[in-house]
Amino acid sequence: MNNLHVDALVIGGGIAGMQAALDLGDQGFQVALVEREPSIGGKMITLSKVFPTLDCCSCITTPKMSAVAHHPNIKLFTYCEVQSVDENGAGFDVAILKKPRYVDENKCTGCRQCEYECPITVPSPFDRNLGSYRAIRVPFSTAVPQTAVLDIDNCLLCGKCEKICPVEAVDFTQQPEIFGIDTTAIVLATGFEMTDLGAKKEYGGGELPNVIDPLMMERFLAPTGPYGRVLRPGDGMEPTTIAYVQCAGSRDQTQGIEYCSRVCCMYAIKQAMLISGALPLAEITIYYMDIRTFGKGYEQFYQNAQAMGVEFVRGKVASIREDENHNPVLRVELTEEGRLIERTHDLVVLSLGMIPTASPQVFGLLPSSDGFISLPALNASPCATERPGIFVTGTASGPMDIVDSIITAGAAASDASAYIRSKIGMRVEQSEVAYA
Amino acid sequence: MPDEKLKIGVYTCYCGGNISHTVKCEQVAKLMEGQPDVVISRTNMSLCSDAGQSQIEQDIKELGVNRVVIGACAPSLHEQTFRGTVMRAGLNPYLYHHIGLREQDSWVHACDCEGATCKAVRLMAAGVAKARLLQPLESIQLRAEKQALVIGGGVAGLRAALDIARQDLRVVLVEKSPFLGGRMAQLETVFPTGEDARELLHRLIEQVVAHPNITIFTQTEITGVSGYVGNYGVQLLQHSRGVSDEDSEKMIEACQRLVPDEFNYGLSERKVIYRAYPGCYPPSAAVDWEYYFDHPLQVNGKQVVLKDEPKTFDVNAGAIVVATGFDPYEPRHGEYGYAEIPEVVTLPQLIRRLALKKDDEIFQWNGHPVRDVALIHCVGSREVEGVDEPHEDGQVNNYCSRVCCTAALHMTEELHQRFPGLNIYDLYQDIRTYGRGHEEYYRHAMENCVRFVRYHGAERPEVTTAPDGDSHPVLVRVKDSLTYNEELEIPVDLVVLAVGMMPRDIDNLVKMLKVSRGNDRFLLEVHPKLRPVETAVNGVVLAGTAQGPMNIQESLSAASAAAAKVVSLLGQGKVELQPFVAAVDAEKCDGTGACVEACVYEGAIALETFEENGRQVKRAVVTPANCSGCGACVSVCPNRAIDVQGWTLAQYEAMVDAIAMDIVDLVEAA
Amino acid sequence: MAQIIQTQQPKILILATLAGGYAGADSTGQSHLDYPANTYILPVMCPCMFPPDFFVRAFERGIDGIIVMYSGTDSPYKVEADGTAKLINNAYALMKERGIDIRRLRLAAICTVCVKPFLKEVNQMNELLQGIGFVKSEIASRAASAQGAQA
Repeated sequence: MNNLHVDALVIGGGIAGMQAALDLGDQGFQVALVEREPSIGGKMITLSKVFPTLDCCSCITTPKMSAVAHHPNIKLFTYCEVQSVDENGAGFDVAILKKPRYVDENKCTGCRQCEYECPITVPSPFDRNLGSYRAIRVPFSTAVPQTAVLDIDNCLLCGKCEKICPVEAVDFTQQPEIFGIDTTAIVLATGFEMTDLGAKKEYGGGELPNVIDPLMMERFLAPTGPYGRVLRPGDGMEPTTIAYVQCAGSRDQTQGIEYCSRVCCMYAIKQAMLISGALPLAEITIYYMDIRTFGKGYEQFYQNAQAMGVEFVRGKVASIREDENHNPVLRVELTEEGRLIERTHDLVVLSLGMIPTASPQVFGLLPSSDGFISLPALNASPCATERPGIFVTGTASGPMDIVDSIITAGAAASDASAYIRSKIGMRVEQSEVAYA
Repeated sequence: MPDEKLKIGVYTCYCGGNISHTVKCEQVAKLMEGQPDVVISRTNMSLCSDAGQSQIEQDIKELGVNRVVIGACAPSLHEQTFRGTVMRAGLNPYLYHHIGLREQDSWVHACDCEGATCKAVRLMAAGVAKARLLQPLESIQLRAEKQALVIGGGVAGLRAALDIARQDLRVVLVEKSPFLGGRMAQLETVFPTGEDARELLHRLIEQVVAHPNITIFTQTEITGVSGYVGNYGVQLLQHSRGVSDEDSEKMIEACQRLVPDEFNYGLSERKVIYRAYPGCYPPSAAVDWEYYFDHPLQVNGKQVVLKDEPKTFDVNAGAIVVATGFDPYEPRHGEYGYAEIPEVVTLPQLIRRLALKKDDEIFQWNGHPVRDVALIHCVGSREVEGVDEPHEDGQVNNYCSRVCCTAALHMTEELHQRFPGLNIYDLYQDIRTYGRGHEEYYRHAMENCVRFVRYHGAERPEVTTAPDGDSHPVLVRVKDSLTYNEELEIPVDLVVLAVGMMPRDIDNLVKMLKVSRGNDRFLLEVHPKLRPVETAVNGVVLAGTAQGPMNIQESLSAASAAAAKVVSLLGQGKVELQPFVAAVDAEKCDGTGACVEACVYEGAIALETFEENGRQVKRAVVTPANCSGCGACVSVCPNRAIDVQGWTLAQYEAMVDAIAMDIVDLVEAA
Repeated sequence: MAQIIQTQQPKILILATLAGGYAGADSTGQSHLDYPANTYILPVMCPCMFPPDFFVRAFERGIDGIIVMYSGTDSPYKVEADGTAKLINNAYALMKERGIDIRRLRLAAICTVCVKPFLKEVNQMNELLQGIGFVKSEIASRAASAQGAQA
């Protein structure tokens, strides 16, 4: 592949990356969006509903994904990972690894015949390993691009997919390729991961079957989830008492994560409200230190949850064990009553925190003491990094919710545009506008 | 166009087997072939492939196909693709109609091939029926003024103006007061970096002032707004500065009239001819016309009375950024003792007071030394209906003001640094130090021995004057939930109220711009998740605290995001809208006006008077820029004189007829 | 001409909004769930455009059941929720006048992933139509009994 030249390279195809790419593309710049997964959509496409409006998450993400795919100024590179970023005077030379899909993207029409024929089933990380998919598959029903990808590590090489494909797109001979993009500006939108479920040994995450992480609960609650219902993974029982342990991966010196992850209070309350709808008889308790419902409409959301009967108990959960029926037993100090109690629930969700996905070193940047990318001009240009021309948006720059991700994406686009213009030094001819 | 012979091309896709394994595509194509006006009916393994698209292009060019019907996977996947195909072949992209035969047919009737095929035949016949009535449409192009109006000269307005100007658009920045800077100028240090607020602000102001694309008008208000996206006409009223740079010092000296200084929240006074603060911009002094009252000045032995000579002028703007900011909540008289007990002050006031008394080594208030301070959170925020007293407009502020917890704990750190022996009691509900670098303030506060007392919203702390002879002037009573609701009585020298943010009173502006306010009375965005800086009014965007409580960093991001939206909108000098808007057939319209009554979109449709055959008649006229295409007008018109272009009633009726037809009829019609 | 065997089944027309019901129908398809083939879905931007006599005309042409799947309060059109409800009420009034069973017209809020509600609506309408039969028969028999009453 020849070096592609673009005005801006957006790294990461989650909501922040997509929004930044759209905002830059709408202004007439040529954008390349690189995403390491086989589809864009990030974490947002895996969620059920979003707070505080309880909009269907898929309904608001898929139009963005579609807009990115169809935008005349955006080139999408999925299943690709950035290897290195070097300055070249006018901008950056970025080396990108294109991982082999073993499917020819130009031929594949997403018909999924290969998927139906494949004899191998593997646990699906999209469904947090609660559901499964085939070794060759279109990643999920609303994936963009709707192109199949083969997980070669789990492949038998039986060739059934190759035989059935009507356009002969399966290609076992594909190799990883390195190609280059030369760009004026870079926007990092590499997103977050949840803190490790098993990080706090006292909580039994990863060992106790009915102690789960919030993304699993999202999959239970999502209409397109693996079960379509809320069940506890241990034995498939419908839980009647559910506990949320707040600050399970944040504000905790023992885990080395002292910061607040900002979204956990809201997502716990959101899930509690959705569970109340799905399981009207369930009793939900949220064990917290401080309830941080600070955003627009968030305090009302909290008040609604209380009115709906969600129980809020102030106390930092000390430990979780299980009884003989695998029911988690929480040990917690009720700070408002000054006594220690043990309480049994059917299911416990640890409100895990956020850590950055990408290590800043690949981009020649240093992390801050909290691990996220350092922002040297927080109160002047909140999207600027230490390297001129590299901007950061979304959860790569710190924990934040969807609204703030979209806003910082717009801000990064704005900063990047000013930078690009100053570098190019000329008026950018706008070819096509995509405003509706 | 009306005389051109219809030549419909029908294409049924196999979709790589996904459609063809259930729907008998060949039979469908054969049946369509015989339909009136159809000149070619093909199947294809994969229409979206290069080969498939080329076939369609070829038919348009060589067979003169002028209407295209495609039966394939869901339109969400490839409608855009095929519009492109049709356009490349030189045909209007709206002369093509897409039928979904996969998600809504073959994939959901897998066990019923015959049923699925009959359904496909009817759906394709419906597509053909609509195609007969398709008209070429052009997207609506509006010339857009490459100039934006930014209302508000605080940090958000400044940032938005600069970001827009950098993209080669002109900006008119309008500020109501005589000076730029807004509320950020009233801060000393900002969290979480501890930087000097005015230094940061001045760097931004310098860039704005220096930018050739930005024109700044201070002491200027908006008095009228007309037009629509791309072409707003805005009427401005600018008051005179009142004094020139040469004589301002003499005038200021001569001026005897004093008013409370709002820069210091009334803690000090200033003259009615003034500068907001040292180093402010513009540096010229200004007359505060609201309080001047023809105050005579003795200058050089003569009496001078200054006059305001306001100018009105108009500007055009393609888009408008609203950055009008916030007001800190002003507690009521007696609320926590405010305005009744001199030792009760708001956090913004304390910030100003500490700045005014920068050189004091001892912390003093009202003549006494301050050793113990109580800081109360959530004043004017997180109010509960039925528990807290409503405000003038009957509402309570049930929202969280977001920045105050961090601001309050930042203040405890500042106080501790300046007055190390100070005892601080922090009375809170939840500590919301959510941001990056904010939790540290909470930790430092605990390390600095700030005593935290947690109260419940329903039972707020009470502040009273202490009895005479007591060691301290003020008593604060509170139920502490951290000590099992024990009622504490805390004697203090000073009570600091961490007040929330209130939306400013911009009623007039809201009416003129036709934007909406949320339940919290801040300006409302069109979609809180997807479109957080846009309003429902096309071309009007929001920046900063006009929209809701946020800190400086968040205001900067929001302002930049708003700027990005403006640039996308105006950058090309034209605004392009989809053609799916209402259109009136003037011949059928008889001016009933039912459409105007039914329409909920401001300025989308109106009755206008025309001359017809010597008489004055009223006819409905649509302004496409303001029309959403909802069709509420269509259903009420008694003459069927209005339709949504591309989705007409006649097209739907034709489709319904095709679906209702029996297959036998269809076979015979062939 | 190829012969297609056509079984007489009641016909259900679904007017589905692009932002809501139409996408919900697509989601149902992506999940490969099964429902009867006598449903015909037409995309609409906003159902407010259909006057009450549109529905009656459709019934008189032989559409046996109509479901309007709108976006409810999630709609991009601020008038959609209230406007559609009002319209359907007016349509019911007109249907009553013409002697058409008002249960043949239904309004349901369906979102982009509302697969179960979509199926529920389709299956419920089918059950109803199995019970009350074809609309043309209904109109004919009402006309006949009206004539009979007059005689």
